Amino acid sequence: MKKITFVIEVDRCIGCKGCQIACKLENQLGLGTMRNEIKEIGPTGTYPNIQMYFLPTMCQQCENPACVKVCPTGACHVNEADGTIQIDRDKCIGCGACRRACPYGAISFDQEMNVADKCTLCIQNRRQGGLPACVKNCSGGALHVGDINDPNSEVARLLAAAGEDHIYSLRDFGNHPSVRYILKNDKWQDVLPQDCVGVRRGRQG
Amino acid sequence: MAQTNFFAATNVVAGLELNDANSALVDAQQQAQPKDSIKTIKTACRACISNCGVIATVKNGRVIHLEGNPEDPMSKGHMCAKGLSGIQALYNPNRNKYPLVRVGARGENKWKRITWTTAIDTIAHKLMAARRDYGAESVFCSTGGGGNPEFWSISRFCNIFGTPNWFEPGCAQCYLPRMCIYDMMYGGTNASIADSNAQEVYFAHDTKMKCLVLWGADPSYSSPAMGGSALVDLRAKGVKTVVIDPRMTPDAAKADVWLPVRPGSDVALQLAWINYIIAHKAYNHDFVLKWTNLPYLVNTKTKMQWRAAKSADPKQPDTFMVWDRKTQSAQPLAYPWNDDLDVALSGTYVINGVTYKTGFQLLKERVADYTLAKAAALCWVPEAKIEEAILTFINNMPGGLCIGVATDQSPNSAQAAMAAGIIDMLMGDVERPGALLQRFGTAGATNMIGYCVPPAASKLPDEQLKKRLGGNEYKGLHMWLAAHAPSVLHAIETSEPYPLRVWLERSGNKLVNLADSKRWAAASKKVDFIVHMYMYPTSFSAYADMLLPTEEWLETDMIVESCNKLIARQAVTHTWETMDETMIWSKLAKRCAELGHEGCQKAFDADYMGSDLKYWDSMEELLDANLKNTGFTWQQLKQQAPVAYMSEADYRSYYVYLQKDPQTGQPKGFPTPSKKCELYLERLITLGRTGQPYSHCELPAASQDYDPLPYYEEPYESPLKGSQLAKKYPLVMTNGRVPYFHHGTLRNAAWTRELYPAPEVWVHPATAKKFGIADDDWIWVESLRGKVRGIAKVTTGINPGAVYMERFWNPETLNTKTHGWQEMNVNVLSRSQAPYNDVFGTYTLRGYLVNITKADSAPEGVWLQPKDFKPWLATPSAPTPDITKGVK
Repeated sequence: MKKITFVIEVDRCIGCKGCQIACKLENQLGLGTMRNEIKEIGPTGTYPNIQMYFLPTMCQQCENPACVKVCPTGACHVNEADGTIQIDRDKCIGCGACRRACPYGAISFDQEMNVADKCTLCIQNRRQGGLPACVKNCSGGALHVGDINDPNSEVARLLAAAGEDHIYSLRDFGNHPSVRYILKNDKWQDVLPQDCVGVRRGRQG
Repeated sequence: MAQTNFFAATNVVAGLELNDANSALVDAQQQAQPKDSIKTIKTACRACISNCGVIATVKNGRVIHLEGNPEDPMSKGHMCAKGLSGIQALYNPNRNKYPLVRVGARGENKWKRITWTTAIDTIAHKLMAARRDYGAESVFCSTGGGGNPEFWSISRFCNIFGTPNWFEPGCAQCYLPRMCIYDMMYGGTNASIADSNAQEVYFAHDTKMKCLVLWGADPSYSSPAMGGSALVDLRAKGVKTVVIDPRMTPDAAKADVWLPVRPGSDVALQLAWINYIIAHKAYNHDFVLKWTNLPYLVNTKTKMQWRAAKSADPKQPDTFMVWDRKTQSAQPLAYPWNDDLDVALSGTYVINGVTYKTGFQLLKERVADYTLAKAAALCWVPEAKIEEAILTFINNMPGGLCIGVATDQSPNSAQAAMAAGIIDMLMGDVERPGALLQRFGTAGATNMIGYCVPPAASKLPDEQLKKRLGGNEYKGLHMWLAAHAPSVLHAIETSEPYPLRVWLERSGNKLVNLADSKRWAAASKKVDFIVHMYMYPTSFSAYADMLLPTEEWLETDMIVESCNKLIARQAVTHTWETMDETMIWSKLAKRCAELGHEGCQKAFDADYMGSDLKYWDSMEELLDANLKNTGFTWQQLKQQAPVAYMSEADYRSYYVYLQKDPQTGQPKGFPTPSKKCELYLERLITLGRTGQPYSHCELPAASQDYDPLPYYEEPYESPLKGSQLAKKYPLVMTNGRVPYFHHGTLRNAAWTRELYPAPEVWVHPATAKKFGIADDDWIWVESLRGKVRGIAKVTTGINPGAVYMERFWNPETLNTKTHGWQEMNVNVLSRSQAPYNDVFGTYTLRGYLVNITKADSAPEGVWLQPKDFKPWLATPSAPTPDITKGVK
C-alpha cells in the first residue's frame, strides 16, 4: 500500500525556517498556525566541544495514528489513495481530541476556522504532480517526500543509501511514526519536538 | 499605543492634492475583470542582497504566490523566509503609499498628502537654497543595504549635485574593507559568499575544493538559499569546514572545527595562522616566490619597495629588486620571472648602508610574536583547537578562506581583510580550481557590487571632493566615493568643519543600523530639512519632514548576473504611487537643472556624460544602456531570462594570470601595479599619502602612513586584565544575522515577526548563572551609551565571555515616544567614537563591552504573540500604473 511521507536529511537542514514561511504562503495559514517547525536539538556536550543539529518536525504520518483513533467525527482520517493522514475540515468540530492525542504536538489549531490543522504534504500540489512547498523551497535540500513503500521511490533509495545505522524516527509510543530522519554527522538525540523551545517570547513577570 | 493600519501609523491629516496626472491614475479601484488573468513571471528576489531567482504568480495584477526558480545557477530553486515573505512586504498595510509632507511638529506624525511633482519641486528648492547659502557640501545623503536600494543612485546624484557627502551604515562597516583590500592585493573578487562572490562554491558537483574556512561568515543565516545551500552541497561532497565565530551558527554547528573567538580579536588569531603557516613552511613556496611580491626588497626606512626601474609603459610593471643568492647581490627581476636568478624569499640585506628586507621577511617578523599560546590567551580559544583548525585547512588544499562581515565591524577591519588575503595567497589559493579567489567571467551588464547606475565619480569637482567629511584621513572610503559616517555625525552636531543642512535619506532605519543611535536621533534636530524615502515608515520617519514611497522588490526592474546567466528582476506589479529611487534621483536632478544648477543641466547631455550616461527618463532607458554589450534589450531579457550569456566552462576561467597577453607575449598576471599578488601592500602607503588610485585628484596626506602589513590592535573597550571598564561592563558584545530579516527590514511583516518577535541575547550557561539569568528571561543589556532589553537564550553555543544580540526595532511603537528604536535596539549600545580603522574609518559595531541584568518585564507596548501581528498581515490592493517603467 502506498505511504507518502517525509524522508529528511538532517545533516542538510541549516535551520533557516524557510520551510515554515513556504508552508504559510502555500497554505495561507493564519497567525499562530504552523504545520511544520524547525527545532534546535542541542547544543549537547561540553563547551567548546558541542554538537547541535536542526530537526524539521511536522505530522509524522503514523502507521497507527492516535489522532485518527480519537477523532469523534471521522474528520481525521487516513487517505486511502496515498496513505497520508488528512483532516476533513467539513467534518472537524474543533474539539481538540486529535491535538491532545498526537504524541508530537504536530497538530495546530486554526482559530479563524475553529478546526484542527496539520500538514497535508501539500495534497493540492501533489494532485497536480507537484511537490510540497517546503520541499520545493528548502535551502538545504533536506526535505524529500515520496512513497516509502515503493523501493524505487527517491525516498526509499535515500534510505537504502543511508544505511540503517543512520536512520531515525521520533520516539514511538505505539503509533509508529513513518517520517524518517537520516543523520550521519551528529549523534541522534531522543527529544520530542514539543520539548524544544521554538520561539522565545520572553517569560513575563 | 497600537496602530492598526498605515493611516494610524502615519496620519494623513488634510488637503489631498489630486490635481496632477500621476495621482489621478493611482487611486485605482478594483476594476471589473472580465476574466481571471493568471501569469507566472520569472524574476529575482531582493529581500536581501542575494538576488535569488523567483517564479511569481500574478492573478489579475496581484501577486498571489512565490517560489524559487531552479534555473538560477546560484540559488538553484531555493528560497528563504525573507524572500517568501515578499507578498507580506509588498501588500503590507503600512506601506508608504503617497508622498507626504509633515504638517505637525517633527515626530508628531501629522502628514499631508502631496503630489510627486510638488514633492520633487519642494526638495529641489531646499537643495538649491542650501547650496546657495552654505555650499553644495551642506547637502548630504544616505542609503543602506536593506530594502532594495539602487546603491549608486545616491552617490551619482551627490557627485552631480556637487556634494561629497553621502554615507551608509555599511561601507566602512560592511564590505568596503574586504572589497578594497582584495582589489588592491590581487585585483579580483573578494571571498565574501554573502556578497555573491566566491562563486567556486556554486560548483559543488566538480569543484576541487577540499577545505573552506568561514571567518566571521555565516551563509546559512545571511543567505540561506544561495551561499547557505551551496555549503550544504559542499559539505555533503566531503569538503571540510572550519568556522571562526563567537556564536555557534548553523555553519559552525556543522563544521569540522569551530573556534568561538572573542569578538574583536580576530586579527590576533589570523596573525597566529600566518605565523604557523610560515614557521611550518606550509605555504606554497613556488607561488609565493613567483606570483607574489614577497621576494621584492623593501627599504626598511622608507617602507617602499626598491625599484630598479620605473616602467614608462602603463601596461608594464616597474622592475623590482630581489636578492640573488647565486651572486649574493641585489638584482633586478624583470616581470614575470628570471630563471637565471636564485631569488631569496627571506632575508635582511644591507646595501650601501641601506637596510633592505624582503616583504616575506617583514611579514615573518610582523607575525613572529603571535604564537598559538598567545592567540589562545588573546582570543579565548584553546590552543589545541587553533592548531586543529589550521591543520584542517593547510592539510586540505586547495581551499579558501571566506571572510565575512564580522571583521568589517570593528576598527581592525582593513587588517583582517589583509590577513585573510595573505592566508589564501600564501597557500596559493588564487585562481586555481577549488580556490575562492577568482576572476570568473562577467556579462559586464552591472558595475561595482552589481548595480546599474554609473556613479559618475569624475563629475564631482575636485574642490568639492577635497571637502569630503573624513576623506583625507580615511582614504579607503574614496573607492566607494563615500564620506565617513562618524565625521558626518560630528559635523551635524558641531557644524565643524562646516554645517550640514539638508538630509536626503533612503534606507530602512538609520537609528537601528548606525552605531550609537541616541547621538543620531539628537543630531537630526539640527538639520533643517530631512527627507526619508522608503517602502514604509521607520523610526527615522519620525525625525523627517517629508516621506516618499519607494518600491518593494516585486515592483522593481534590475539586471542580475548569476554566474554564467543573466536574470531579470522585473516588476510583476505596482502599488499605490511608489517609485524606484533610481527615478526619484533622476527627477530631482532634472528639477535642479531647471532651477539653474549647471552640473545637473550637463547631466542630461549625453556627450558630456559619456560612459557615465546621461540621466534617464525611464528605467528601460538605463537598463538598455547597461545591456548594450550583451545582445539583449531590457524587453528581450525580461521575456527570455534566465539566459546563459556564456557557457559554464567559459565562465569558470581559472588561472587568468597565466593566460598569455597577446600584446606582450607574457603571462597576463594580476591587475596590480606589479602584476603580482601584493601581500606587502605598498599601495596602502600611496593611498594614504595621495588618495590614489581611488580619488580623482591628489589629496593631502593622512595624519599617518597606512601600514602595508596587517597588525593587531586590542579593542579600545577591552575585557582583558587591567581594564577598568570591564569591571562595570564585563562582557563583549557581538552581532550577526538571523535568517528572517535583512538589516532593518521585515520587522513589520507578520510572518517573520511571528517567528522572531524579539531579539535573543545569547548567554553562556556559566555566565547566566553568574548574572542570575535564566533562559527566556527578559534582560537588560547596558553599555557606556545606553541600555536596551532582549530575551535571554542560555546556550553553550556562545563564548562564555561574549553575548550576542542582533539589530531590532519595533514598528508597533513607532507612534510612541520611543519611535520604536529605543526598546530592543543593540545599536543604542554600539560605539561611534574613535578609535577608527586607519584606512576606512571603521567604528565599533562589534567587540565593545556590556553588562547584563535581569529585567522585570518586556518593554511597554511591544508585540510578542502571533495574534498581535494581525494588523500587519498583507492586504492586497489593486495594481496601479507605474509611470517610470517602460518607454516614456
